[in-house]
Amino acid sequence: MKTRLPLKNWLLASSLVVLGFMPAMAQNQTGTLIFAVESLGGQTLDPILEGRPGNATYQAVMYDSLAGFDFAKGGVGPGVAERWVLSDDGLNWTFHIRPGQKFHNNDPLTAHDVKFSLERQMAPNSLAAAAAVMRRTIKSMDVIDDLTLRVNTVSPQIGLPAGLSRAVAPEGAIMPKDYLEKVGEEEFRRKPVGSGPWRFVRSVPGDRIEFEAVSYPHWRGTPHFKNLHLLLVPEESTRVAMVRTGEAAIASIGPEAMLSASRSGLEVLAVPGTMQAMYQFYGTYRPEFKNSPVNNARVRQALSLAIDRQQIIDHIMNGRASMPFPLATFGYTEYLTHERWEKWAKEAFRYDPVMAKKILAEEGYPNGFELNFANTALPGTQFMVDIGTAIADMWTKVGVRVKLRHYEWGSFAPLLRGDQAPLVGGGSMYRTAGRPDVPWRYNSALNPEGVGERLLGDATTCEETCKEFLQVHRALSAERDVAKRTALTDRMVELIAGTWLAVPIIEGMGYYAINTRRVGQFDAIPGRHELGDVFERIPRAEQKPWKK
Amino acid sequence: MSGFIARRLLQGVVLLCLVATIVFFLGRLTGNPVDMILLEDASAEDRAALIATLGLDGPLYEQFFIFIGNALQGDLGTSIRMRQPAADAFFSRLPNTLAVIPWALLLAMSVGIPLGVLAALNRGTFIDRMVGTVAVLGVATPSFWLGVLLIFVFSVELGWLPSGRMGGPSHYVLPVITLSAFLVAGFTRLVRSSMLEVMDSEYVKLARIKGLSEFVVVWKHCLRNALIPVLSLWGVFIGNLITGAIVTETVFAWPGVGRLTYEAVIFRDFPLLQATIILKAVLILSINLMVDILYAYVDPRIRLT
Repeated sequence: MKTRLPLKNWLLASSLVVLGFMPAMAQNQTGTLIFAVESLGGQTLDPILEGRPGNATYQAVMYDSLAGFDFAKGGVGPGVAERWVLSDDGLNWTFHIRPGQKFHNNDPLTAHDVKFSLERQMAPNSLAAAAAVMRRTIKSMDVIDDLTLRVNTVSPQIGLPAGLSRAVAPEGAIMPKDYLEKVGEEEFRRKPVGSGPWRFVRSVPGDRIEFEAVSYPHWRGTPHFKNLHLLLVPEESTRVAMVRTGEAAIASIGPEAMLSASRSGLEVLAVPGTMQAMYQFYGTYRPEFKNSPVNNARVRQALSLAIDRQQIIDHIMNGRASMPFPLATFGYTEYLTHERWEKWAKEAFRYDPVMAKKILAEEGYPNGFELNFANTALPGTQFMVDIGTAIADMWTKVGVRVKLRHYEWGSFAPLLRGDQAPLVGGGSMYRTAGRPDVPWRYNSALNPEGVGERLLGDATTCEETCKEFLQVHRALSAERDVAKRTALTDRMVELIAGTWLAVPIIEGMGYYAINTRRVGQFDAIPGRHELGDVFERIPRAEQKPWKK
Repeated sequence: MSGFIARRLLQGVVLLCLVATIVFFLGRLTGNPVDMILLEDASAEDRAALIATLGLDGPLYEQFFIFIGNALQGDLGTSIRMRQPAADAFFSRLPNTLAVIPWALLLAMSVGIPLGVLAALNRGTFIDRMVGTVAVLGVATPSFWLGVLLIFVFSVELGWLPSGRMGGPSHYVLPVITLSAFLVAGFTRLVRSSMLEVMDSEYVKLARIKGLSEFVVVWKHCLRNALIPVLSLWGVFIGNLITGAIVTETVFAWPGVGRLTYEAVIFRDFPLLQATIILKAVLILSINLMVDILYAYVDPRIRLT
């Protein structure tokens, strides 16, 4: 005879099992995981005041994001919302919130919190980088029930979930509505509350931020360590020294420190696909550069052929980098025919100085030409300057006389705005962060109507390729069919790859020095340099020793 | 004496106005924080909106007068990145910088002054040349290199001291040595030349004729008078330590005002940059004023000039 337990008995039994496990889980969390990092950004725990790198490094620790990661291959995956659906007319997204989530003050996390958080991110006083974009694209939000939120957009926004995922941007961070409204912004900034696997303990300006693990099971993973300390150590050699002495377990490093770190017995973890180092040309379409060599796509192709990427990988990146895909595409890029582009890149990005010289001669530059080139690096990517210097040297070898100018990033960024006077007719180093969505990056680099790099054209000049790009990009923004979207992405990549205006040099990685006596073996998220979403999954040294 | 202090105060106010003007306009020549915050695909409207949010809209001269007006009321603005009053951010870090300065000065004097005396007493000898070499090395050794070297030897290889960060007494050792290396050289050279001058003076000859022991002549009569010019350099040295702490604070992950200033420059955090430079200037001017007053008290001839 079968006996059926009533539902409430099942719930009671399951609750007892969970409660029984909780103290054991808390007991199993011991020790302090210490991570030394070069920058803690603004060191503010309010998501509306921090940019992407800071958010991904230390805010991610305590806040969950509306959409999360695909931990295995990188890119967007489930987050606070376990799934999301686009309406038939493409004008609204419905997010289904994962049930049973709570904030560190025990308030339940509901669709009301999600709506409140997104509205706060797009408010006029928000310093969130995408606040203005959100204001432009999101029309309104409706809470359908506690676990369902509908986001209405002014036009089809296929990329919206990606934009609210930490895989792409920080604006999906979820904050507690009731708590924030009760205590106010100032108090929230002093005592922030999130829903992530680590709760805030204290922040010492300019020195460290301390977190404590939550003791209940968390969907991102329940931490193995009891405490997490993020130390601000700007000098790389000091960070490596701290890992060697055991003062820190993990430190972020650059490729230049990799050899010394591994020679001194540290494990070096390289996270694939975190960025592309690239170069690009500006204003080549302008009438005054009609006869300029850089206005000639074949000449630009010759410049690419003159670059020995393997030398750069071997000697600047110490072997821990790879040949790139086309502009802003990676192994985890969504809606892309990866095999096709991998094959294409292998051929197109080969080192062939003979062919480079031949093309230059054919195009009327047998003795080369003069090229203005701006060398720069974003904070934390100092190796970019070395790469810029190396390619200038390689171009010199095929006869191009490079006038190299070095810019600190903060001085370089404003040059991209307005008339781009110091850059037009020449090129510069640039970097593309690892992101799964291609259209975003293409729009910022190529949209003639934007205030970005405007590599293809501007408000007054938009010729054939530029027009087709706009057409493809617009179609892509609204295309829901996977096959058609992939075809459109491929076409957009093809179109731009053929211009040789924005050319990847290498696909870089994120590097970490690890003391294997302090932490066990772990993997980072492909394409995500920062470890803010990884700490909870890092085992203690005795739990999973590093395989040598 | 009051006239002397009033003159110095007036000079200080003029200097502060100059510093405020220079830091305001020079900072804005180097870029815009909006470029560090906005996404690359932001529109012109997005940029304008953020500029307004940060209070960076309006003509530059208008922003300058608002800044000066607020500064006169003690409001140096709100840090763009930290969203906290810039002056608060400065004063929260200042004690960390000031915590190492007395120790660095003490170490520099305890090593530099005896070395200077030793060199003066052995003028032209091997010892003099050795001390001179030490002084040149102290000046020539870049502090970032010395700091990294000390970390490598005493933290990594010997394991005696922590690599960096603020903490207990052991955390102070390496930063203090690094900061004081430059000052040792300064004190040594200054004391040497000052001692040589004093040792040739009539009253020292008289002390020797009176039959005082060489120890008393050198360490009591000569050194006391030789230290007067050293006193005047205190203000300069403390100023050097406050402004020059950027490198040491970076190498040793020390959360002081040096690094705060550096971060303000890198992120184009204008209010924070203005506040740190102006408050440092106030600090240095105050210290120099105190040293001047002390110097005028010790040597009345100063008051007359």
